[in-house]
Amino acid sequence: MSGFFKWGRKAVTEPAAMPPAVTVSDPVVPSKVLPAFLSSVSRQSSPVLLDLGPVVGSNVQLFGDRLACRLHVQDLFEQIRRATDPAAADLVLASLRARLPTEPDSVDGILCWDVFDYLDPLVSHSLAGDLVRLLRPGGVLHGYFATASTPLSTFTRFVVEADDAIRLQAYPGPTTRRRVLSLRDVERMFGGLRLAESVLLRTGSREMLFRRAAASP
Amino acid sequence: MSTGSGNTVNIGKSVIIKGELTGSEDLTIEGQVDGKIELRQNILTIGPNGKIKAQVVAKVVIVQGDVHGDITATERVEIRDNGSVDGDVAAPRVAIADGAHFRGSIDMQKQGGGKVAETRAPDAKPAAKDGPSASPPMAAAAH
Repeated sequence: MSGFFKWGRKAVTEPAAMPPAVTVSDPVVPSKVLPAFLSSVSRQSSPVLLDLGPVVGSNVQLFGDRLACRLHVQDLFEQIRRATDPAAADLVLASLRARLPTEPDSVDGILCWDVFDYLDPLVSHSLAGDLVRLLRPGGVLHGYFATASTPLSTFTRFVVEADDAIRLQAYPGPTTRRRVLSLRDVERMFGGLRLAESVLLRTGSREMLFRRAAASP
Repeated sequence: MSTGSGNTVNIGKSVIIKGELTGSEDLTIEGQVDGKIELRQNILTIGPNGKIKAQVVAKVVIVQGDVHGDITATERVEIRDNGSVDGDVAAPRVAIADGAHFRGSIDMQKQGGGKVAETRAPDAKPAAKDGPSASPPMAAAAH
């Protein structure tokens, strides 16, 4: 996978219109799971990706150049931020679901980086069920999940720096305590998918890759 | 409407257009357009004051204001800092600045499918001399 980002690299005929703003102090963390995710979706012709996080311009450009994909950007964090009454789980779930594609078995890869840390458990389970239904056989889901219930006043924007490295950019969010899901809880949530990889990071997050079984020949 | 530098036509921020806007010159919109915009061979710029509720088709679309609707570009779409798009985007190249807002899907699938190096749109044909025009039904009002 080390050559993934070189593969298909085109001759640049003009400078990028808007290089991503990068702050040197933003931490870059290694990813052992992202290469597997990219490898899996790159096997598909014109894959369909679903990113539940905020739009990141450089990621969009990268996925487009390398995968020639269709990318759904839903920014559920914006919905979470707008949810004035976190106790109204049904309303939150309805607003999140309204943003998702509806056709089952239509998505090759799902990125849910941190999003479940900010959701009510009931909402998390229902949303996870929706994501499982959206994945095509052979599809993969890449997630980050908190392992410590730390209060935060920021969300994190995940900027793909290389095939095995992600830059973490904090941006303002509501002050909230992240929910911690045990490994077993996460596996239950994504029942129907197989846990392919799970890595505990120094940042306190768990990086996981779930895979839906390929269709029988 | 006014003609700015070069062959770019400007729609000022006091102008509201409801209907279909087509043309063969580059266009900058600072006003409001509801309906459909089609500049297949040209560059469409939605200025910082522009508010668009329309289906947009152009060679290049640059968004600095607000767009509610689907955007199709044969060459590229740029959503600049503070630009906002709520809709689906289809273009071979899409650039989104930090600080931009986007919600929807981005289709960067190349024609014929598959993973290929960037495809460039064929060179635009020479633009006709007639500027953007609005076809009925259309109503323009200055505020």
